[in-house]
Amino acid sequence: MELPAIVSRAGGALLSTLQHVRLPGVGQASVTDDPATAARRWRAVTVLRTGEEVGALPPPLERFGDRIEVRTEPAPGDRGTELAARFRGTPSEAEIGELRAALREAKQLLEVGEVLRVEPQPHGVRKPTPQGAALEGMTERAPKEGVL
Amino acid sequence: MKAATWAGVNEIAVEDVPEPTILNDRDVILKIRQSVTCGSDLHLVGGYIPFMRAGDVMGHEFIGEVVEVGREVRDRKVGDRVVVAPFAACGSCWYCRQELYSLCDNGNPDPGITEGLWGQSPGGCFGYSHAMGGYAGSHAEYMRVPYADVGTFVVPEAIPDTRAVFASDAASTGWMGADLAGTKPGDVVAVWGAGGVGQMAARAAMLLGAEQVVVVDRVPERLQQVREHIGAEAVDYTSTDVVAELRERTGGRGPDVCIEAVGMEAHAPGAPGIYD
Ligand SMILES: NC(=O)c1ccc[n+]([C@@H]2O[C@H](COP(=O)([O-])OP(=O)(O)OC[C@H]3O[C@@H](n4cnc5c(N)ncnc54)[C@H](O)[C@@H]3O)[C@@H](O)[C@H]2O)c1
Ligand SMILES: [Zn+2]
Ligand SMILES: [Zn+2]
Repeated sequence: MELPAIVSRAGGALLSTLQHVRLPGVGQASVTDDPATAARRWRAVTVLRTGEEVGALPPPLERFGDRIEVRTEPAPGDRGTELAARFRGTPSEAEIGELRAALREAKQLLEVGEVLRVEPQPHGVRKPTPQGAALEGMTERAPKEGVL
Repeated sequence: MKAATWAGVNEIAVEDVPEPTILNDRDVILKIRQSVTCGSDLHLVGGYIPFMRAGDVMGHEFIGEVVEVGREVRDRKVGDRVVVAPFAACGSCWYCRQELYSLCDNGNPDPGITEGLWGQSPGGCFGYSHAMGGYAGSHAEYMRVPYADVGTFVVPEAIPDTRAVFASDAASTGWMGADLAGTKPGDVVAVWGAGGVGQMAARAAMLLGAEQVVVVDRVPERLQQVREHIGAEAVDYTSTDVVAELRERTGGRGPDVCIEAVGMEAHAPGAPGIYD
């Protein structure tokens, strides 16, 4: 693998660990889930639509077939419908990333009607710096990481 | 087209970049008429927001003319002169429905970065790094604006560009400062910073009924603008003891409302500056 690709991959990996960074004695009292528990958690988005509009299986989730279970519930305070999904069995981190991105897509399709795109954007010369390569890895991973 | 780009920490370049295209059905393409440098651009220039990539087009406070509309755009048409909110907001999510547009759930295509950093993602902001969506900004000849029916506002013909453009950011931010601070008729209001935001906060405080508004800065041209265009009083902190001055003016009470419109690049000489 070429160096920029390695750095870019490292940038993506850094992003995936950002929210699990715990410095002993600094700020955080909460423990972190062990990987098995984390993998079993429901990933969820709240969609400002009725349960009927959300349906049983919004299209971006269809491709997971019966590898996932999906549930919907009314959200409190007129906030719409909670749409949650999780894998049966033990998924890889990459699979969880795909599911997060699919949930966000489902929410956007239901609320807005299309998925927001940002590429290609006009830009000038991308200097080949390690920081730049790391950032590219992060942005590539960004739709698949986060708190879901 | 030409665009002003971030080329590295404390490095801005003017480059030839490709023109933007419609990417989503609710997009418009604007021909930029005016684009303003906001104080927030300093955070990017100085490298305090480490999610800029060399070549990124900056700029988020602007006015432009619609030259192309996406298929689902309903209320804007080619030829409209519009001033634009810096945040990309969908108008349909729960936050948008509460008019909390900068928290839009569907405005940032790269939510994982800010969710990782801060625990939750705000909306996307034009020309404001990959943490805020990676959108190309307005310091360019043309720009793509998504969700155009929500975030663009047609400017009445009688209002010239230079008056309308600050509705994009400085005027709305200044107003929000005065409003959040609970400014009431009869109040004495002190504003630190005579940039776009401070000047607009001072004006907003006057419109909210403040009895006396004092703006603090050290740049003579800016203090002069405060006196001339805003109609507030201006104090130069390099020649006046600000606290003593404010106490004297207010019967010893001090101001009822203080608005901080300086930001993180504050000029702070002496020991507290070193500590900062
Ligand atoms: N929506 C938002 O949250 C939002 C929008 C716009 C701007 N901002 C922030 O508001 C701040 C001001 O924006 P601006 O565009 O007016 O910036 P600006 O740089 O034009 O103005 C800042 C002013 O503060 C003055 N200043 C510096 N140190 C000072 C001190 N110690 N005491 C008094 N004055 C001092 C400077 O001389 C300058 O005139 C920035 O931090 C910017 O990031 C926030
Ligand atoms: Zn700004
Ligand atoms: Zn929204």
